[in-house]
Amino acid sequence: MAHEPALLGIFSYLDDLLEALRRVKKENWKILTVFSPIHFSEIQEIVGHKTSTVRYLTLIGGILGGTSVVGLGVYAHLSFKLITSGKPVIPPIPFIVPFFEGTILLAVIFAVLSWVLKGRLPRVKLPAAYDPRFSEDRFGILVAYPEGKRETISKLLKDAGAEEVRDVSG
Amino acid sequence: MEGLNYQDVNREILRTLSRPPRSYYLIVGFLFLGILWGAICWTYQIFTGLGVTGLLHPSMWILYLVNFVFWVGIAHSGTLISAILYLFRAKWRTPIARSAEAMTVFAVMIAGLFPFIHLGRVWIFYWIIPYPNQRTLWPNFQSPLIFDFLAISTYFTVSVLFWYTGLVPDLAAARDRAQGIRRKIYGFFALGWAGTDRQWHHYGAAYLLLAGLATPLVVSVHSVVSWDFALAIIPGYHSTIFAPYFVAGAIHSGLAMVLTLLIPLRYIFHFENIITLRDLESVAKTTVLTGLIIGYSYLVEYFIAWYSGNIFEKQTFLFRAFGHWAFMFWVMVFCNAVAPLFFFFKRVRTRLWSLLTIAILINIGMYAERFVIIIGSMAQDFIPYNWGFYHVRWVELSITIGSFCLFLFLFLLFAKFLPSISIAEIKEDITPFLRGKGKRDHHGA
Repeated sequence: MAHEPALLGIFSYLDDLLEALRRVKKENWKILTVFSPIHFSEIQEIVGHKTSTVRYLTLIGGILGGTSVVGLGVYAHLSFKLITSGKPVIPPIPFIVPFFEGTILLAVIFAVLSWVLKGRLPRVKLPAAYDPRFSEDRFGILVAYPEGKRETISKLLKDAGAEEVRDVSG
Repeated sequence: MEGLNYQDVNREILRTLSRPPRSYYLIVGFLFLGILWGAICWTYQIFTGLGVTGLLHPSMWILYLVNFVFWVGIAHSGTLISAILYLFRAKWRTPIARSAEAMTVFAVMIAGLFPFIHLGRVWIFYWIIPYPNQRTLWPNFQSPLIFDFLAISTYFTVSVLFWYTGLVPDLAAARDRAQGIRRKIYGFFALGWAGTDRQWHHYGAAYLLLAGLATPLVVSVHSVVSWDFALAIIPGYHSTIFAPYFVAGAIHSGLAMVLTLLIPLRYIFHFENIITLRDLESVAKTTVLTGLIIGYSYLVEYFIAWYSGNIFEKQTFLFRAFGHWAFMFWVMVFCNAVAPLFFFFKRVRTRLWSLLTIAILINIGMYAERFVIIIGSMAQDFIPYNWGFYHVRWVELSITIGSFCLFLFLFLLFAKFLPSISIAEIKEDITPFLRGKGKRDHHGA
């Protein structure tokens, strides 16, 4: 994950973590990643993530799915004309159901693929900074430090309440 | 969940993944025998032909279709609980959502099996799949059977993906606790999840979207299943109330199955701290609502039969209540519409034994309902010359029992090898450790 020298601060308390994040942000240090056992919107807000592109990709999937299933249906009906009394070969009303199912199917597949790929998954090796406690009850911040600034950042993390600060290389 | 912290949640839920007692293997082995027997009977049917079943004109949709509709119905509550209640922010869904989702996946798998079993020549099932082929035959996209194929396959795919998405952070937690080969397996399925801000950001957006997309799907799937019947002109099938009636019935049966599975699960794994009586009570209250909708639907069906003045409709509904399968009809009415009303009494819905008893009664009632609608309507249509009864034969009965064994078998495997309660979502309902403002610290103070 980190190809530049970085410090990992491990926190027990959420408010300490948020405080550390705010300070790191305020002092313009580079946050490489934040680890947490669950989703906290405050973390996302402080880190400053933009709106997830997952929603646009899901929309594209939905449009693709609906149109392709209806396209397949139209092609099928034109290839094998089942003419029953005066009924149209391509009936619009019954096609709503395949359109709906196709839309949902591909939208969901795109949503899942996009969160996996946007989250930079799947990966064989866990990030070097990862600590198994992050899936339990601990939080972590990985902050890159420029040359000569290690101690400053280390002090900042400790002051904010980090129970452990350690170096993480590339 | 009072008094639990993040560590407790991991410990409580992941301890169920440890080595099970001997009785577990015994039950799993017994269920496997049931599945094997079902598979043998299906093989026998393939080699001998569908004549070994009670399939005989006019009852061309036999117990297999009853099972299909029953299992699709069971599959409904999982997505209802995980998607719809998620959007409504109903907190009581959290401890039960994972098991309900697993139940959904297994129930759809089993439901999807029955059209194949009913097909007879199962090896040519691919004829229904639309693709350019040398036969120059294409399935008819106006047919409710194609709707059904699309709806069930979509529902299955969506349910699996939704379930799996929720599982990923928990699989990572299981990976971090496991050793040896188990660590590798959990690690493989956790996809290398590390709980980074980036991962949570996209994951959160996707989960919300999945819930939003799955919600209309829940309503559509059983509506489509109901159109298998409603688009036919048979009296007893041809009704416009079928879609909402079937959807309510599906949710009713699904919720009952959730209670049937979760009460023993809670007892066996000592999940009393996580799956509280209040959560089970909320399921029971929802069952009252669906039970009332079902009861209303039964009344409306009779009203329509009377008010329409259609003699065929009238005789079909009289036949249901007083004819050959009247016993099944009254079982259906009592179990689905009357028994859930006992949940109006707090004493009934806060006792485990009464919760479980009524849930099992609803399951029986919903199976009876599928039987009454599917078998009963076909047995007596327009011309008395065309009437005839269906008698259940041992082959379809064995395959049906096999399907119940398969369902329980898969659920037991799930409960033992995967976190049966969502660790991440339970944690979201707990106040995290905060140093300041007098919140509790690591020692629970």
